[in-house]
Amino acid sequence: MSYLSKSDIVKYACTCGQLKSITNMYFCRHCLKLRCGYCVCHEVDSHYCSNCLEILPSAEARLKKNRCQTCFDCPNCLNTLAVRGTTVSVRDPDDPSKVNSQKKYYHACFFCRWTTRDAGLPDQAVQTVSANGWTHKETNSSNVQRVTVLLERARLLGTLERHEREQREKKFTPRSRRTFTHLPGVTSAHVRKRAGLPPELPAPSTIKDTLAEFQPAVAKESVNPLPEEIFTKAVNLFEITTMPQRLAQPEIQPVFCVDLLPAYKHLSTKRSQRCRECEHNVSKPELNPSSTKFKIQQAAYFHVPEVRLVTAGALIGGKDTEVVLLFSNPSQHPTTLSFISLREAEEEEGNKQTEDTSDLADQQGEAASSLSSLTKPAVVLEEPRPISIKVTGNVELPSPDAEITLPPKDDAAEYDYSGETHKSHNDPKWVMHRRANKAAVSFTVTPETGFTGKRCVIGFVLRYTYINRIPSPGSFDQKPQEVRLDTRLFVDCGKICSK
Amino acid sequence: MLKTFYEGGMGLTTEKQAVVFDFGNEYTKVGYAGEPAPRSILPTELRCPETGRIQRVFDAVTFDEKYDLLVEFIHTLYFRHLLVSPKDRRVIIVESVLCPTTLRNMLAKIFFMHFEVSSLLFVPSHVVSLSTLGVNTALVVDMGATETVVIPVFENVAVLHAWQAQPLGSFAVKRQITDMLKKYESPELFRTRDCVIPATRVKVEKTEPQEASETSAEAGVPEGYEELEEREEDFNYITEKHIEDIKVRTCFVTSLARVQKAEEGNPCPPPPNVDYLIGRSSRIVNISGEIRENAYNVLFEQDGDHISVPTMILDAISKCPVDMRKPLAENVLLIGGTAMATGMRARICEELKSLVVSPQYCDKLKVRTFKFHTPPAKENFAAWLGAAIYGASDIVSTRSLSKEAYLRDHQVPDWVSLIHNVFHDGTKRSL
Ligand SMILES: Nc1ncnc2c1ncn2[C@@H]1O[C@H](COP(=O)(O)OP(=O)(O)O)[C@@H](O)[C@H]1O
Ligand SMILES: [Mg+2]
Ligand SMILES: [Zn+2]
Ligand SMILES: [Zn+2]
Ligand SMILES: [Zn+2]
Ligand SMILES: [Zn+2]
Repeated sequence: MSYLSKSDIVKYACTCGQLKSITNMYFCRHCLKLRCGYCVCHEVDSHYCSNCLEILPSAEARLKKNRCQTCFDCPNCLNTLAVRGTTVSVRDPDDPSKVNSQKKYYHACFFCRWTTRDAGLPDQAVQTVSANGWTHKETNSSNVQRVTVLLERARLLGTLERHEREQREKKFTPRSRRTFTHLPGVTSAHVRKRAGLPPELPAPSTIKDTLAEFQPAVAKESVNPLPEEIFTKAVNLFEITTMPQRLAQPEIQPVFCVDLLPAYKHLSTKRSQRCRECEHNVSKPELNPSSTKFKIQQAAYFHVPEVRLVTAGALIGGKDTEVVLLFSNPSQHPTTLSFISLREAEEEEGNKQTEDTSDLADQQGEAASSLSSLTKPAVVLEEPRPISIKVTGNVELPSPDAEITLPPKDDAAEYDYSGETHKSHNDPKWVMHRRANKAAVSFTVTPETGFTGKRCVIGFVLRYTYINRIPSPGSFDQKPQEVRLDTRLFVDCGKICSK
Repeated sequence: MLKTFYEGGMGLTTEKQAVVFDFGNEYTKVGYAGEPAPRSILPTELRCPETGRIQRVFDAVTFDEKYDLLVEFIHTLYFRHLLVSPKDRRVIIVESVLCPTTLRNMLAKIFFMHFEVSSLLFVPSHVVSLSTLGVNTALVVDMGATETVVIPVFENVAVLHAWQAQPLGSFAVKRQITDMLKKYESPELFRTRDCVIPATRVKVEKTEPQEASETSAEAGVPEGYEELEEREEDFNYITEKHIEDIKVRTCFVTSLARVQKAEEGNPCPPPPNVDYLIGRSSRIVNISGEIRENAYNVLFEQDGDHISVPTMILDAISKCPVDMRKPLAENVLLIGGTAMATGMRARICEELKSLVVSPQYCDKLKVRTFKFHTPPAKENFAAWLGAAIYGASDIVSTRSLSKEAYLRDHQVPDWVSLIHNVFHDGTKRSL
């Protein structure tokens, strides 16, 4: 399975132009197109804590600023802290001669041995710690208060500006909208709502009064001098925080390690992926944080024929050599493969496009297009990229109408160890051998001259048949349909040698 | 205290919080509008999945390369740090005056076309920083990674003809540390490519600040640095991260008095040395007291062209009309991570006081007092906080560029940048 995670030998061109290995792509069963992580829409499905595996509903996660309320990160090495219990002896307050033992808890890091005691935080009496006892050390609460005041001021200024803008616009508003208010039971707020305007603003005079109470910051002439002891005191690097430690706590950014505080653990997310053209999910994980399964997983690996490089002869610039590729059919239906050169495919595409556009102009007319734009928001997509890989080898392909058919994937055949490979009698001679849903095909490759020492990359278009079982909307034909799909493939055959 | 008008459900609470980005050359700050601090501050860089090498996003040379790195980087920001879906959410971007139009257009394309956000608003970092104070006039000094930019803001309007920009930022300090270390340590320690600190150049063109920095950051690897085959080996060399760590943890800005004494030829005893361990073999690199004390002095040296951070401040003030000068000098706002270095404020203050009475400025400038602001934030995210405060107001709905407008015209009109166009007690101001 290791090749699943890493294979840069065979690359598929995604609809958006990115080159990816098949294991990193999706196949939208509605659009019948390849999609990749770059061109799908990612969405946050759920928030959970990766330590205690608790799921937080999105609204709650937002309130808690995306932090788990029970788990903490070590401020020193940023790993997760663990709870530790100890027994301490306390003198009985009533009877000083008696000593009681008491269970106390503190947090410790198993990676760097930092403990909450290092930060001078008191031990807790209960295991599930609430950080209440820890917040007293925070020094920035005055900053937070000040920011609240500043926020309020900015909002008022913004409102005031809107007020003036509306005042200006009012001159041009039709009289009818303003005079609705004389009708019984109709308030001005009501009218504003119906007219699609934001609710009435507080009177500008009130705002101005409130703003007058605001105290702007005052600049000071004196600044803190450089401490004299810096010139004499030896530096202990273990007492001074590093940049990652400071930035892990943006509000306080402590300079000294003693000021480090345990941080509430950041939540993790489960994400789903959506096709941006048809808005169907191509991947959706199960909600349960400990599950690695998916509710929807339209990986290209299950639908698109897979290609692997089997052998390549010596690659020498200008000399023909044999390259064998293995094609396998992952689907539950037979598939027919044929090969087209990149140039032919481009020409075909070009022809199709000019036809399409003229069709559109002729038949649909303006009415239809404006209607569709009303019902569905326009699809926003970046234009496809040109392929970024340089083809450095010529490949001789069988003629475009030469086809081979691969049988469907048969799970039982996977366990057939007879090792038998056979060649069907009516196969053309370029099919080397077959086994179950796989076939090895031989190609003649000529690396280009002048690329000695570089990789030999060949490219072609694989045309395969696919059984579409999803009826297109509007059609009553429920029968699965066979369609022909193209995908551009790039194979890295190896290094081009000099001789 | 101010009363809250919004509690009664003005409709703002139901709207999704806008996301605020400040893409710095070295560190990116990201979080939600209306919050007192960013959710994350992280290096503006990505690890290449194939080579494992760290790539700075803004070092990318070609358009496509930068576009792809930004897409990837912003994707990580949304799904690892903000934990929200980008689609149909408002975005506010803090931009520097030096931000080239090409970058702005690229960001617009990425956010609208790739992430399908609902609206976009560019806010100028200098002007919005003032909303962390609630004042309308200040001299904003942004000391970032690649450069220091000084812009006077008077009655909420940036006085653009007076702006100053110089490559005096933390990269200059890091280069200084590297150069000083090279004097004492064996050269093979510096063999890796990761130790090269990008050279920066700021082309100062007073007339058109928007276009000025098309060439501001230039990354180049000088000859003689080899690409190391094995990653593990790198641990035994000094990398740029080490230099950054040395700068942050051991260096400080010394006082003017000590510098003057050293210039007169009787230097004070240097601060203690620090032993710094590098690599698996725990090789000890000696960070001398001289390095610790003097690395930051590059920002204050008036060599050749007589430009240092304090002279930039004074030049910016003297380029302003006479009646603005006093209010500006009495409202200095230092932002940017480099301003967080120990002793920075004190040194700038000392230098300003001594410079205004020096022959260089005493006739040109009549201001004698300088006052410094303390925003309710750490300096490195002050600009972000300004945008987060500003962006929590109605401005996001009235001034943003909407998705529909962008899809129609596929361009970012100039008014989207608030550089010429900021609110001021309710009156719209345009220059
Ligand atoms: N908390 C801090 N303590 C010390 N130095 C800091 C801190 N935060 C940032 N810096 C330094 O400030 C420099 C610039 O930071 P920043 O202003 O965020 O850069 P930019 O916005 O240009 O990317 C960095 O090189 C960093 O070393
Ligand atoms: Mg910055
Ligand atoms: Zn794609
Ligand atoms: Zn948890
Ligand atoms: Zn730890
Ligand atoms: Zn689709």
